[in-house]
Amino acid sequence: MVIVKRRELSLAEKLYLPEIGRALSLSLRAMFRKRVTRQYPEEPLPTNEVTRGQPRLVVKDDGNIACVSCGMCEVACPAYAITIDGGETDRAIEREPVRFDIDMLRCILCGFCEEACPKDAIFMSNELELADFSRQALVYDIEKLKRPRSALQKRIDYVYRLNDRWRKPSSTR
Amino acid sequence: MPTLPLWAVWVIKAAVIYGALLGVAALMSLAERKVSAWIQYRIGPNRVGPFGLLQPLADGVKFIFKEELIPDGANPFLFRIAPALAALPAMLAIAVIPFAGEVELFGQRTNLSVTDLPISSLYVLAVGGLGIYGIILGGWSSNSKYSLLGGLRAAAQMVSYELSLILSILAVVALSGSLDLRVIADAQQAPDVLWNVARQPLAFLLFVVCMFAETNRHPFDFAESEPELVGGFHTEYSSMRFALFFLGEYCAMTVMSCLATVLFLGGGAIPFWPEAPWWAALACFLAKMSAFLFLYLWVRWTLPRFRFDQLMNLGWKVMLPLALLNLFATAALIALEVY
Repeated sequence: MVIVKRRELSLAEKLYLPEIGRALSLSLRAMFRKRVTRQYPEEPLPTNEVTRGQPRLVVKDDGNIACVSCGMCEVACPAYAITIDGGETDRAIEREPVRFDIDMLRCILCGFCEEACPKDAIFMSNELELADFSRQALVYDIEKLKRPRSALQKRIDYVYRLNDRWRKPSSTR
Repeated sequence: MPTLPLWAVWVIKAAVIYGALLGVAALMSLAERKVSAWIQYRIGPNRVGPFGLLQPLADGVKFIFKEELIPDGANPFLFRIAPALAALPAMLAIAVIPFAGEVELFGQRTNLSVTDLPISSLYVLAVGGLGIYGIILGGWSSNSKYSLLGGLRAAAQMVSYELSLILSILAVVALSGSLDLRVIADAQQAPDVLWNVARQPLAFLLFVVCMFAETNRHPFDFAESEPELVGGFHTEYSSMRFALFFLGEYCAMTVMSCLATVLFLGGGAIPFWPEAPWWAALACFLAKMSAFLFLYLWVRWTLPRFRFDQLMNLGWKVMLPLALLNLFATAALIALEVY
């Protein structure tokens, strides 16, 4: 059996009023403390290169996308969010996708496509917001997925740092 | 400026003062949310209008367009009339609050209050006391256990605290020798007279505590007590009738704050400025009233609710004897001509 010894209240505590005064001063001081609210649409959540946002396609410096429509990401995707139709080009790199759709409503932002890609063509961006009025509008095509390499550079560097221990020194970058 | 007949001036005064009361009540609904937010390190409503000032308007529109439900087995007549009964008395009681002294209005000299009664403090208490009927009827006619319990508690609480409230006011009345609120306020305006809060500190304390109990506010909001009674007397209410209860509550708070200002803080009296013009006195009155209104919110978001037996103990075993003692001591001091 446990006998709980309750503390005897002092006279000031029994009178309530001094304690109420203390409580009131506490809440008054709270009113002037720093606010913790984030005004979301105006003040977005801070992101960095570790943020795993929506996947985006890299546009190389020559203006073409880096994707060669090999289909690795399509296979890797656990949510079947990616659909690729390949096509030919006249350039040295002969293949590019004629269709590259990611259904953002299916995408679970797991980053498997980024890991699977052999050509550094798809990376997780820091873009997180996803809202529209129809399901169809949220199936993103190439034009909506394209991002210049510079916009994704931080993430690319981060992924390279992560993978450096498995990468051979001679690999292209 | 054209000279208007006296009755027109009265109508204008009444319209302005009631409009102001409703405006204050609306602003209080916003202030309640703002103050609660500030105390909890939040920002509060700020989307509708600058600083969220139009929020009460948006809330009002929402309330009006909400569907209204009357529960099965409720007494429809009483259920419908209860919110009005809860809101009306507070609006009636504001009529005798003396906001400022004589002013020149459209060529007529008139006091800045809807009306002046020689027994105005009695009138405020009598009419203000009626507000509880709305709550009791609302609780009883809803045909719901929770509502009934809320109404019961409101009734019990009302009886326990109205006594101490009146006794604490009586001490002030004894001091001024008049039941007229204007006389009580004016008596404190003289430069060599202290405000009643200094002459009657115990009565002031009792009045403030009872003020919270009378308006069913934290820490005495047993009629509502949302964790135990899911809203108490207004559990079954929806739409504008629900809002009416709140309107009544905020109006009652405003009236009580006015009353506290008049009885204990000398109405519009400004220290060291006895010949203040009427607009300064009015501004001072409103500032004091706002301070009390803020106290309401401040306490609400600071203190936890009492237990019901604690409430009854406090009311009958502490407040009532103290109030009686205070009245007796005041009477004795007046008889001995100390005051």
